[in-house]
Amino acid sequence: MRNVATIFRREFSAYFNSPIAYIFIIVFLVLNCGLFMTPFFLQGQADMRDFFGNLPLFLIFFIPALSMRLWAEDKRTGTFELLMTLPIRSSEVMLGKYLAAMAFFLVALAGTLPIPIMINALGNPDGGAIFSGYLGAVLLGSLYMSVGIFASGLLRDQISAFILGMLACFILFMLGIPAVAATIDGWISGLGSFLQEFLGLVGHYQSLQRGVLALGDLAYFLTLTAVFLALNTLWLEGRKY
Amino acid sequence: MIEVRDVTKRFGTTVALDAVSFSLQRGEILGFLGPNGAGKSTAMKIITTYLAPDEGQVAVEGIDVLEQPLAVRGRIGYQPENVPLYPDMSVHDYLTFVGRARGLTGARFQERLGWCVEACGLQTELKKPIQELSKGFRQRTGLAQALIHDPEILILDEPTSGLDPLQIIGIRELIKSLAGQKTIIFSTHVLQEVSPVTNRVVIINEGRIIADGMIDDLARRAMGSNRIFAGLRHDVDEVERSLRQLQGVKEAIRLPAGERGTARFELRAPFGTDLTGAVANLARERNWELCELHEAAFSLEDTFIALTREDRAVRQEVA
Repeated sequence: MRNVATIFRREFSAYFNSPIAYIFIIVFLVLNCGLFMTPFFLQGQADMRDFFGNLPLFLIFFIPALSMRLWAEDKRTGTFELLMTLPIRSSEVMLGKYLAAMAFFLVALAGTLPIPIMINALGNPDGGAIFSGYLGAVLLGSLYMSVGIFASGLLRDQISAFILGMLACFILFMLGIPAVAATIDGWISGLGSFLQEFLGLVGHYQSLQRGVLALGDLAYFLTLTAVFLALNTLWLEGRKY
Repeated sequence: MIEVRDVTKRFGTTVALDAVSFSLQRGEILGFLGPNGAGKSTAMKIITTYLAPDEGQVAVEGIDVLEQPLAVRGRIGYQPENVPLYPDMSVHDYLTFVGRARGLTGARFQERLGWCVEACGLQTELKKPIQELSKGFRQRTGLAQALIHDPEILILDEPTSGLDPLQIIGIRELIKSLAGQKTIIFSTHVLQEVSPVTNRVVIINEGRIIADGMIDDLARRAMGSNRIFAGLRHDVDEVERSLRQLQGVKEAIRLPAGERGTARFELRAPFGTDLTGAVANLARERNWELCELHEAAFSLEDTFIALTREDRAVRQEVA
């Protein structure tokens, strides 16, 4: 655990050692809040449904931008060799990096908290729905992040890692859309709905967005996150041979 | 201490290491020599557990690198060829990170940090971001990183590459000062760097070990003879005739004449013959003026070239 903390500290401060952190937070908040606030006053509804509804698409761009450097940068500067010859398990290094990127994402997400505070002042929102919406956002972010860190591990170049991560997240997103599932079903009967059920994230995310906390949905996000993190560790171990 | 047995490593179809074996006692310093791309780095990466061997075993203090990689890593300080630095961190923060990752805390860490900074001459650079350091200070930061946990074993991959002569001497002195306390493997392709630091070398070429031993022995084995330079003031042809008649002389090579027409020769004779004495006697008997007489050791370059050639010839025969 102490090893994870050591790596975490290094990786978390690395975000703030470059201007990327500040640019990321500003762009993230301006885009998310701006796009939410524009129609908000026209509709006059005291909820955050639209805010959370936008996230699955937004995070496809934002999360890979955070995860792309996690391994690719170490490989470029040669510190990868240092990390892999320290007396620390590769799974601990991976976990430290992953948690640091997640912590940074949580900082950015915390920047949107003025919205629920404002809504609370303006009307009577459903507090439970907002809570489960945020929980959904964190789970969605953690899934995308695990996909992103896996992509970063495969590649040496940050830009390629960004594009690959984005593509993989986009595929997960698309598989969950009923129209896409129906099209795939048209090619191979049953495959589309199978993929939609087990891999597609939209359905699972939407129930959290509506304020429904179902065990199945939580399990979906946590399991898939764990699968990609495990794949990342396996690749780190297998690279030696 | 370090035991490498029949290690083979392939990358795709290229064979980076071909049944490499060597071993190292506690407190020994080993110069790991070879041209670029010979497999030096690959061998070091295997010892440090960064890569796994395809075949063969490597044990560090009796611990197998595949079975307990973490235990091996804890005992080794490693400076890779491409110095692994975080450009955005200061030297102090970087060494703190590595120290923590190596399990150092509190007073013990402060003590080691102080020692490393002092030994590597980093006092003035401690607060600077690494991206602003010169090449020499980057190398030294890399070395400090390898020393921070006071490891028993040091593995340094080209620790002096890209440094100026003064800095090279500094690193050399540092390695020498650690002699006896630590087991050290350092690689280089600059041969002159080896002899001031250690006598024990392993020479590797195209993934195979072509020589392992003391520099002097290797020179003898490779060249098979001793070399003497003699200069006598007399008629060149007569001197040559007399020299060739001396006992043990295999070859007498005429060299450009020296000052005031000195006849100069390079003589070769098997090791153990007292050729300098014989030449001195000859000069006394004939009453020739002796202007130059000295034995020339073979340089590591000569040895290296001879050994690589020999290796190539053997391989061509086999093929």
